[in-house]
Amino acid sequence: MNLANWARYGLAATLATAAGGVLIYRSQPRTNRDAAPARTARHARRFGDYRIAGATVTIRATPEQIVKCWRSNALLWPALEYLPFPEGNQPDLLLPPAELRAMASRPLLTRIVAEREDELVAWRSEGEGHADMHGRLRFRDNGAKGTTVEVIMAVRPHHFASALKTEAMMAEALELGLLRDLRRMKMLIEAGEIATARSRPEAA
Amino acid sequence: MRAATFQGKGDIDVRDMPDPKIVNPRDAIIEVTSTAICGSDLHLYDTVIPGVEKDDILGHEFMGRVVEVGKDSTLEVGQRVVVPFTIFCGHCFQCAEQRYSACDNSCPVEDQEVAEKAFGYPMAGMFGYSHLTGGYAGGQAEYVRIPYSDVVPMVVPEDIPDDRLLFLSDILPTGWMAALNAEIAPGDTIAVWGCGPVGLFTILSALQQQAGRVIAIDGVQGRLDMAESLGAEPVNFHETDILDALKQMTGGIGPDAVIDAVGMEAHGFSVDNIADRIKQSVGMGQDRAHVLRQAIMACRKGGRVSVPGVYGGKADMFPLGAMMQKGLQLRTGQTHVRRYTAELLDLIERDVIDPSFLISHRLPLEQAATGYRNFRDNQDEWIKVVMHP
Repeated sequence: MNLANWARYGLAATLATAAGGVLIYRSQPRTNRDAAPARTARHARRFGDYRIAGATVTIRATPEQIVKCWRSNALLWPALEYLPFPEGNQPDLLLPPAELRAMASRPLLTRIVAEREDELVAWRSEGEGHADMHGRLRFRDNGAKGTTVEVIMAVRPHHFASALKTEAMMAEALELGLLRDLRRMKMLIEAGEIATARSRPEAA
Repeated sequence: MRAATFQGKGDIDVRDMPDPKIVNPRDAIIEVTSTAICGSDLHLYDTVIPGVEKDDILGHEFMGRVVEVGKDSTLEVGQRVVVPFTIFCGHCFQCAEQRYSACDNSCPVEDQEVAEKAFGYPMAGMFGYSHLTGGYAGGQAEYVRIPYSDVVPMVVPEDIPDDRLLFLSDILPTGWMAALNAEIAPGDTIAVWGCGPVGLFTILSALQQQAGRVIAIDGVQGRLDMAESLGAEPVNFHETDILDALKQMTGGIGPDAVIDAVGMEAHGFSVDNIADRIKQSVGMGQDRAHVLRQAIMACRKGGRVSVPGVYGGKADMFPLGAMMQKGLQLRTGQTHVRRYTAELLDLIERDVIDPSFLISHRLPLEQAATGYRNFRDNQDEWIKVVMHP
C-alpha cells in the first residue's frame, strides 16, 4: 500500500474513532454536577443570561467582624480588585473597584438590596443604561476554624466581556480576582495586614 | 546594600541592591551578621525548583541585629535575633496549631496561584526561596525586611556566638522535626539517607531522641566520616547494595524508621535515577526520588518514613504498593521552625549540643559565587558554608 493510501485510511480511521467516541459520550446519561444532595460542592457557572463566578475562604472571625472590616477598614479598599465595597457616605451604596469598573462596558451603580445579620449581604447594579450585575456575600459557621465567607457575582457577559476579553477569560479573571480579594480580607482580619514581599513602600 | 543575587542557572552575583524599608506595621529590618548556604538553595541554583527570577536575593538561613522596627513590632532596636526561614502570621488556623510552614496568610495573594496549581493550596511565604513561596528577599545580604516580626524571629542571648545559633534558622530544627516525625521509640534502629547538613543534624537529633542505632547512608566519604564521629554507623552506597546491607545489619527485620534527608536531587547511577535525570533534563519530570523509593523498600513492615528532604514536583515509579502492603506511615513537610527553636536553644545553652561543628568554610558575602559552586561540586570538603556580609 502506498503512502497516499496509508494517509487516507489513517484519516478515515481517526474520523471514525472520533465519531464513535462522540456517539458514546452523547449516549451517556447526563448528571447535573451541581445536583449533589444538601449543599452542593460548587456553585452553578451559568444562570439564564448570567455568567456566575464565586470564591470561598474561611476566616477566623465572626460574621460581624468580617462585615465590619468590609464596611470600614480603609486598608482593605485600595487592595480590592473586583469585590465592591461600601462607599462610606451612604450605607447601602457600593463602589466597584478599579478592575471591575474596567471590565464593565457600562457604568456600574451598585446598591445593597438585602442584608441579614450574620448571614448575607446582597447587592445589584441599578439604573437604566447601567451594567447588570448581582452579587452577595454569604456567611456560614465553620466551627473552630471560623466563618466561611462565600462571594458570588453574576454578570451579563455582553456588559462585561469586551472584544478584547472573551466570556471565558472574563469569568476566569473575575473568579480569581474575587478569591484574591477574600484572601486579602482574611489577611487583614487575621494578621492585621496584607502580606507583601515588597522590600520598600511604593512611591506615593 | 550588597546582596547575593540569582542571575541564571549556576550564576550567583553579589550586587548593589536597594536597602529594605519598613512596609507593614509588623515589620522589622535586621542587619545580617551571619548567613549560610543551604542544600535546598542548590535546588534554586540549579533551577530544579522553578519561580526564581533574575536579581532575586537568595538565602533563608540568617541571623542579625534589629536596626529598625514598625509600629506594631515587639522587637527593640539592637536586639540579636535568629530568623526562621518560614514566614508566618501567627494568627490563622494553621499557625494556631503551630503548623507555621502552612500559614494561610504569609504568601502574597499575587504569588499564591502557582503554588496552588502545583500543590493544591498555597503555602507559607519563605525568605529567599522563589516566587512559589512569595518572592521574599532572602538573607544573603546586608539587610533584610522581616514581616510579622512580633512572632517570626527569635531573640537570642548576647553571650552565645553566631556559629552556635545560626542553624536554629533552618537545618537544626529540620533535623529535629525529621527525627520527631520518625516517632523514635527508645532503642529503635533508624536509617538516614544523606549526610549533608540536614542529615547530620537528623543523626544528632535521632540519638538525642534515644535511638539505639543510627545507620547513615551517603556516597561522600568525608560526610560519612562526620556522621561516624556523631555516633552513626556509616554505609557508602558506592560500595554496597543498600537494601541488602540494611537487612544484614538489622537481622533481616529492616530499620524501624527511615529518614530521607536527600530530597529531589538524589545522586547515583541506578536505573531509576538515570531515568529521572533524563526526564528532568527535557522538562518532563521534576524530582529525582531514588532515595525515597529506596527508603520505602528498606523500611521494616509497620515502620515509619520521615521525609525532611525537599521535593517540589512529581515522582515516577513511586512504590505505593510497598508502602500499603507493609503498612508504613509517612510524615513529611517543610519545617515548622519556630515550634522547636525554644527547646533547641535550651539544648545549646546547656551545651548538650553544639551545632558549630558543621561549619567547614567561612567566606565574606562577596565570595558567595565561590561558596555556591564549591558547596555543590566539592561535597567531600565543603560541608557547610557560612558567609558574613
